Amino acid sequence: MKWGTSSRAERGRLLACLAVLSIVLLSPLPSQAYAGPGAGFAVLSSFWTLFVAFLYSAYAFFAWPFRQLFRLLRRRKTYGKATIKRAVILGFDGMDPELTERFIAEGRLPNLAKLREQGTFRKLRTTFPPISPVAWSTFMTGVNPGKHNIYDFLGRDLSNYLPYLSSAEIKGPKRSWKLGKYTIPLGGPRIRGMRRGTPFWHWLGEAGIFCSVIRVPVTFPPEKFPGVLLSGMCVPDLKGSQGTFCLCTTRLRGDKFREGGVQVPIERAESWCTSYVPGPDDPLTNGSGNELRVSFEIHPDNHGRQARFKVNLESFTLEVGEYSEWIPVKFKAGFGFSAHGICRFYLKELSPEIEVYVTPVNIDPGRPDLPISQPATYAIYLAKLFGPYATLGLAEDTWALNEEVLDDQAFLAQCYANHDDRERMLFDALEKTQQGLCACVFDTTDRVQHMFWRYLDEDHPAAQDVPPAQRPTVIQDLYARMDELIGRVMQQIDEGTLLMVVSDHGFKSFARCVNLNAWLHQNGYLVLKSRRTESGDWFEDVDWSRTRAYTMGLNGLYLNLKGREREGVVEPGTEADALKDELRRKLDGLVDPASGRAGITGIFDCDAVYAGPYVDNAPDLIVGYGDGFRASWDSVMGKVTSQIFEDNLKAWSGDHCIDPRLVPGVLFCNHKISDEKPAIVDVAPTILKLFGLALPVHFDGKSWTVTPSGTP
Amino acid sequence: MGSLEVNLPVIIVVGISLVVGLLMVVVFRYTSDQKAIHIAKDRLKAHLLALKLFQDQIPIVIRSYGCIVMATGHYLRLAFKPLLFVIVPLTFLMLQLDRYLGSVPLEAGHAFLVKVRMDSPETLNEVSLQLPKGLATTAPAIHIPSESEVVWRVVAEEAGDYMVDVQASGQTFSKRMVVGSGLSRLSSVRLRGKFWERMFVSGESALPDNSLIEAIDVQYPSRNMPFAGFEWNWIWLFFVLSLASGFVFKSILGIEI
Repeated sequence: MKWGTSSRAERGRLLACLAVLSIVLLSPLPSQAYAGPGAGFAVLSSFWTLFVAFLYSAYAFFAWPFRQLFRLLRRRKTYGKATIKRAVILGFDGMDPELTERFIAEGRLPNLAKLREQGTFRKLRTTFPPISPVAWSTFMTGVNPGKHNIYDFLGRDLSNYLPYLSSAEIKGPKRSWKLGKYTIPLGGPRIRGMRRGTPFWHWLGEAGIFCSVIRVPVTFPPEKFPGVLLSGMCVPDLKGSQGTFCLCTTRLRGDKFREGGVQVPIERAESWCTSYVPGPDDPLTNGSGNELRVSFEIHPDNHGRQARFKVNLESFTLEVGEYSEWIPVKFKAGFGFSAHGICRFYLKELSPEIEVYVTPVNIDPGRPDLPISQPATYAIYLAKLFGPYATLGLAEDTWALNEEVLDDQAFLAQCYANHDDRERMLFDALEKTQQGLCACVFDTTDRVQHMFWRYLDEDHPAAQDVPPAQRPTVIQDLYARMDELIGRVMQQIDEGTLLMVVSDHGFKSFARCVNLNAWLHQNGYLVLKSRRTESGDWFEDVDWSRTRAYTMGLNGLYLNLKGREREGVVEPGTEADALKDELRRKLDGLVDPASGRAGITGIFDCDAVYAGPYVDNAPDLIVGYGDGFRASWDSVMGKVTSQIFEDNLKAWSGDHCIDPRLVPGVLFCNHKISDEKPAIVDVAPTILKLFGLALPVHFDGKSWTVTPSGTP
Repeated sequence: MGSLEVNLPVIIVVGISLVVGLLMVVVFRYTSDQKAIHIAKDRLKAHLLALKLFQDQIPIVIRSYGCIVMATGHYLRLAFKPLLFVIVPLTFLMLQLDRYLGSVPLEAGHAFLVKVRMDSPETLNEVSLQLPKGLATTAPAIHIPSESEVVWRVVAEEAGDYMVDVQASGQTFSKRMVVGSGLSRLSSVRLRGKFWERMFVSGESALPDNSLIEAIDVQYPSRNMPFAGFEWNWIWLFFVLSLASGFVFKSILGIEI
């Protein structure tokens, strides 16, 4: 009864409002036809939108036959010899075949089990080394690293032994104008992709086959081709790094983390606090290191449970343990120069101290300051359709969990938020690509396994204080979630669609660290300056005049070669070959004295595993670590320590940068594939062949024999 | 001084447009679902971009166009709620402004028409017009039975604020007429009953319900004002300037419209 009364009253009010509005709107004078700028904008922009849309639709309709004719004249007989209408490739970075089989056997992955039954399941041979940028580059180009030039995340600068990002180089603008103490950039930054080779979707696009490619690693900077592509792994953040998070805190603990993050103080005012988000260097001060910043305010409530944030014009409230949505931040540099980014805030703690974690500032996909898609409007299209999304290549902040700035739950929440965005993009691409290629890579599988393997490995040193019964089933849940996604994709595809689920490599435990630089030092191959027993990062205190070999990055071992390295001492040719043999002999089967297990199960000569024009850039030897081992954190950063083997106590507890024979990827397909030992290098030629295209002669991969699952 | 007088209406329109532009976007900000409007606009843009990105795929183009129509409807629906809050006060403000800015006073020495509309043609003979000093008829009254109207042609000898009396069946009703220049509050018609019509077109009290007269009407000339090299009706100038002002303020204040 009460509800009825209230409803009648509400209805009465509504009717009164409608009556007044109707009278106002229906009266005849022009002065009542306009209800302020709001209505004016709404009506004008709606009309304009419809008008433009109509024009464009009409153009698309009328131009379509001419475009088809143009294609025909260029002899691009689209789908002429194709045996499939559409190929859908789901890339699950790091999905492990052994775990997959185990979870299938446990009944956790019904959709993958169905794919295995009706189609194909194989282990997919990976690359030397089995690192994502290397393997995905091979996936897309169909060639070995000697032809695509990606051997690791990092390359080394031969002039100073310092690292650089191997996939892309970003430099300032070519020209600038000096104005007093300011340097006005004339033009945008110069970005050069370092990956060579041609992705197979370029061949498809040229043949008139539409391709949607989403977040495949090493696609930054995006290359032009007739299709749409959103760049993946290796897209930098707004600072130009591969992800620098920020911890704003009232605790003072120094201003930097070892890797991946910075600390910023929170200043307390009367009832609120202020801090800032560090941004890129000021482009007007020409590399002087002046950092641009965006200030923000934190207004805690009286109970210490939630706080109101004010960032630029945005205002939002967070409870402790809650993430904000993506917040736009604009870094102003003066003279109208600015950089647009997005970041998320996570309220860690409000009492007694205040701590706020801020994700790396991603390039704003709605206003990208660097090219992150092909065409540039594709990133904007996705941002407008689904809202802002992570653009950083390594968007899941593993460093923050490693440094214990985030806890497990906060990290997982971040991962799955990014994953949900990716899913939306995939399903939109599936809808938009009814014919052609739709390829999407999901990184969640890789990041979650890296960070949570400790709960899967009973003896992992990083989880010894967590009893087996209390260990969360994060990885099991991850695989189940991916399986459920595959199920939804299977519902979207028809018989003419080839569905392929691939991973670039598998996964193993990373329980023990191997500092190969320490081994090289202790065995006289790497020499430190007098009286030093350890070096700093990036070979600080290394005596290059007496050093014959060194390692940096994840799997590469380099000779200090005369004429190549700045202070090289090893003569190329016989001496170098002999040194390689000697190192191979000594390192292959290197035993961890603590466990008695082999820390290294294979050392591979670059001349044996690579062929192509860029072999000179490859490490001289590829180190294949054993199951349970990986290069130590220090060794990766070019540091010599006194210990060769040590426990890995970090949350980053699973890895794949080991002997490639131990970590193959997965290959599932809804069609039958007859080949018994497929490799990731075969994907590109297989797809081209299925679409009826001739294979480029430089391909290293071979196309598989694929038959529809119903065919006997 | 003369120039200032001539430009005073323009100055008023510019000033009011700026203030209204600011006020209306602020009202829009607090009465609308800003987030929903932002999303709706973004979706519209996305579907527009889809037309370009997937132009070779006609089914996608058709679907995108359908999405654009739907998204436009959704956007207009979201703009409707703040419109409810804005339209009533703004309409009444504009009505009042229209009294001052919509017309100019009658000109001395120039004839104008005074119309009286009766409730039936039979009563036309019972109407007479009594003019104050300074006003004079220049022709006999004309009866238009089909319209139930009597029309007088009148001329003013000099500027002034006049009250004209109209008599019918022993009742006398007055109507204000302004002759001269500059800004005055003008009401072209005095009406019987018709509350809403009076609200919108009349600035004078109602004629009694038992009156035989329905309306007393004087045709004031429309006002055009010079701005940016063009002659503008004040409502168009207000439309353009308040839109421009709203655009500037919405950008400064970060308001989504």
